Amino acid sequence: MTPLLTLEEVDTYYGAIHILQKVSLHVNEGELVCLLGGNACGKSTTLKTALGMVSPKVGKITFAGEDVTKKNTSHRVKMGIAVVPENRRLFGPMTVLENLKIGAYVRGEADPVDLERVFELFPKLKDRQSQLAGTLSGGEQQMVAVGRALMSRPRLLLMDEPSMGLSPRLVEQSFEMIAGLHAQGISMLVVEQNANMALSVADRGYVLQTGRIVLEGAAGDLAGHDELRRAYLGR
Amino acid sequence: MGYLGQQLVNGLTLGGIYALIALGYSLVYGVLQILNFAHGDVYMVGAFIGYFVEIALGGPSHTKVPVPVMIFIMFAVSMIGTGLLGIVIERFAYRPLRKSSRIAPLISALGVSILLQNAALLLFSANIRTYDTSSFIPSTAGFSIGSVNIDSVRFAVLILAMLLMFTLSKWVNKTQVGRAMRAIAVDRDAAVMMGIDIDRVIRWTFFVGAALAGAAGVMNGLLLRGVSNGMGFIPGLKGFTAAVIGGIGSIPGAMAGGLLLGVVESLTQGYLSTNFSDFYTFILLIAVMLLRPNGLFGKKAIVKA
Amino acid sequence: MSEDTSKLGIGTDEWVAQHEKRLQRRSGALGIVDLLNQRVSNKVRYSALGVAAIVFGLFVHNLYLLRIASNLGVFLMMTLGINIVMGFAGLLDLGFVAFYGFGAYAYALTSSSQLNQHWPTYLSVPAIVIATAFLGYLVSLPSRRLFGDYLAIVTLFFGQIFIQLVLSSDSITFPGHTDSTDITGGSNGIPGLDPFKLFGRAFKSTSDYYWLLLIVITLLLIAVVRVNRTRVGRAWRTVREDPLASQSMGIKVNNLKTLAFVVGAAIAGLAGAIFAGIQSAVFINGFDIPLLTLIYAAVILGGSGSIPGSIIGAFVMSVLPEILRVQNYSEFLFLAVLVITIGVIGKNWKKLAINIVSLIAIGYFVKALFSLSHMTTTPTKTWAIAPVSKALQYWLVLPANRIVWGNMAFIALVALVAYYSIAHEKIKPWLLPIIAYIAIFVWEDRLVADASTTRQLIIGAMLVVMMIVRPQGFLGKTRVEVL
Ligand SMILES: Nc1ncnc2c1ncn2[C@@H]1O[C@H](COP(=O)(O)OP(=O)(O)O)[C@@H](O)[C@H]1O
Ligand SMILES: [Mg+2]
Repeated sequence: MTPLLTLEEVDTYYGAIHILQKVSLHVNEGELVCLLGGNACGKSTTLKTALGMVSPKVGKITFAGEDVTKKNTSHRVKMGIAVVPENRRLFGPMTVLENLKIGAYVRGEADPVDLERVFELFPKLKDRQSQLAGTLSGGEQQMVAVGRALMSRPRLLLMDEPSMGLSPRLVEQSFEMIAGLHAQGISMLVVEQNANMALSVADRGYVLQTGRIVLEGAAGDLAGHDELRRAYLGR
Repeated sequence: MGYLGQQLVNGLTLGGIYALIALGYSLVYGVLQILNFAHGDVYMVGAFIGYFVEIALGGPSHTKVPVPVMIFIMFAVSMIGTGLLGIVIERFAYRPLRKSSRIAPLISALGVSILLQNAALLLFSANIRTYDTSSFIPSTAGFSIGSVNIDSVRFAVLILAMLLMFTLSKWVNKTQVGRAMRAIAVDRDAAVMMGIDIDRVIRWTFFVGAALAGAAGVMNGLLLRGVSNGMGFIPGLKGFTAAVIGGIGSIPGAMAGGLLLGVVESLTQGYLSTNFSDFYTFILLIAVMLLRPNGLFGKKAIVKA
Repeated sequence: MSEDTSKLGIGTDEWVAQHEKRLQRRSGALGIVDLLNQRVSNKVRYSALGVAAIVFGLFVHNLYLLRIASNLGVFLMMTLGINIVMGFAGLLDLGFVAFYGFGAYAYALTSSSQLNQHWPTYLSVPAIVIATAFLGYLVSLPSRRLFGDYLAIVTLFFGQIFIQLVLSSDSITFPGHTDSTDITGGSNGIPGLDPFKLFGRAFKSTSDYYWLLLIVITLLLIAVVRVNRTRVGRAWRTVREDPLASQSMGIKVNNLKTLAFVVGAAIAGLAGAIFAGIQSAVFINGFDIPLLTLIYAAVILGGSGSIPGSIIGAFVMSVLPEILRVQNYSEFLFLAVLVITIGVIGKNWKKLAINIVSLIAIGYFVKALFSLSHMTTTPTKTWAIAPVSKALQYWLVLPANRIVWGNMAFIALVALVAYYSIAHEKIKPWLLPIIAYIAIFVWEDRLVADASTTRQLIIGAMLVVMMIVRPQGFLGKTRVEVL
């Protein structure tokens, strides 16, 4: 079986600063993979590389069997990658409904069926459709961000620190939601600093430290791993 | 009373033209944060295209097609032509500069403006041309409300400007490209992450902005003002002023700003002095920038019309 | 990684210094310019220039040449002024010539019978400089809290307003008066200005002004070079490169920008006053957009931020047009520039040779086609004035209706050049000689006849192309992108 997404020995730079060093990872169809690591170790950069927001200097990226290393973000989103960015990045002065419709941009006009499904998943949003997204609470913004990503009917969902800035109760809820999406068969790559939570829902995990993958394995194995703790101490 | 009403009607018509120009500044500023200096010259090109279409259709007094059809074709060809010109300008003068310093696109825009003005001078000479509207729409046609006479050309221009603005609002609010355009204005990176093809949206933005300026150019010609290579300079500045009054980047702001500026200008011309009317506009611009830097109606981002 | 982050912690001065060291070497013909630029020290260059200027002043008594030299001096003052505003502070001041005009008109009003004011030069010139600086301060106020872009268009508007005010101030009716007063002379300007009276003598000849300009420019250069080395100079450059970073480094961005803008205005005012003195008359049409674009073209060509660049740019833009009045020179220069451009694009001599040969072949081919089709052509006698053109006539097609053909070819030229910039690398070599041929055709058949329009077209194209290809100008330093 070919994996859905692969990064093969990817090196990414910001100008002259070397960020990712020979990062290799893959996500299989239907899998929930988490990418763990401390602050500023290159987690977001990995997602941006996968999405084509930055291009690697060396290395290869494939999606659904196709080499997408040279393809732009728009192309990759069309192929079925969607993202819930760090800090949600909603379009604040636009309404919830408009945010959702933007999510369907690559499909042309938004499909009412998709809208219905998002509202089924997050019934709260249905009542808030015409509210400006910037005025929602943190939890609701999270819902819009996830809903917006789902509007493109992605085959792979990238999530960048979904628990960031949420209260403990909301963190729990959002991981329940992630597990729920996983149960529906959506493949996911979730970036997290909250290792315990992430590993509790994931199938597999990678640990990133200053731009290198230092550890990988099944979620259960990683959860009991000593080195994982150490990975968070030095950076 | 009649005089005041007359000035108001004139001002609104003029303001409609300013608003159409202002929209181009605001749309482009929204997505790219650059001031497209060459915008006034696009308006000039629009006026020229309208003129040459009129000539091609037999000229003002011997038109080969019914007058409304002729006017329609003038607008259509001019708007498409200037729209394409807008795309070309973006492609060659601005796109290579997306990642450079802030001042580079401004200088490039200045260069484009000089190029357009002098290319027009070279190709069309310095002669001032007119649409000669009165030979196909008699100036007596029109109607009065009370003591205010409204001639039909003025009225048509006003209605058409409103119609275009209405259509634009619909486009910006109800289409995916329009939505994407606003999304880019709010957060470009997030918009890219949603799979929005930035270049395509920017092309659309320039097309629409330039086409509106082209329409404004034809309107200007229909109102019997001269068509010449330097005609875009002052209206370009006025359009910018209108956009700033409304809060640059704001679409309803640009419309309101344009109309307000037109009325103010018409009233100062009517009651104070014709010679200094641009001076008053300038003072208005300065006052707005000092007192309400985000514009009278300003929010930072483009908001729903 | 930890090494990289530590680099980000350096201070302002260090950062700027580092960044200036990171000059990039380019290959090809442009590399030669860089090399020359680095070989000779600035001191040597300025001294040589100064000696040349003194020798010129001592031995040249030709009035025409002195005029050109004085105009160059005034022009140079303005490019140095723009250099401070744009080159150091990164602001686009499109009202610059209005400040220049303001200085000139202020001198005219204080030194003529227009308002019956005859101030001594010691009083009027300093007053004008201060007044222009203050005017600059006022104009900069509304843009202070906003972006540099606003300043550009506000100043552009200001320039236009200045012209309109001058034009319509020839019949002002003051409140309480019935008759109108003529302040500015409107479109007739103000003639008969008093000459400067300085150092105990009235300036009777252009030569006096030449020496004055030499002194002023020398002082200005010393000041600019000095300031460039101080903290303010470095801070200005930081502000230009990255306003956000400099804000976070604690530089008072707005104050520095305003200062640069005001200093620029003051220099323009002084230049205007001197210019008015030289001309002993002022007319408003000298202070319009064409002059503005000429100054900007000079600064950008030389490299904004580079003082030697401004000097060379000023020389090119102010003296060259004089030389080009002689048609033969302009034709020669055009062909030379064309060949150099092909050379720079082709990057090596072999390609240049191939291109030139194809160009010549295309010419004869088109000429043959034309004669086969029996199209009428312009009789040679009426056309060729300049020797270069006479030589070209055996090769270039000269259709009877030159304006129409020239216009069409102009449009084709613009389209082809645009297409060239985005064409596939494989197609480019084929396009180059065709473009060169059409360029020569347009030049000979259309542009030569319309010198002022042509000049503006070239300047406009140059501004766009320079921004894309070499925004730092020929002598400027490569910008280091700030992440
Ligand atoms: N646009 C950028 N330009 C330069 N450096 C960047 C940029 N974005 C991130 N970085 C740097 O790259 C490193 C990794 O960033 P990131 O991938 O966002 O980390 P994480 O998501 O793991 O917190 C950090 O040191 C950060 O400062
Ligand atoms: Mg991150």
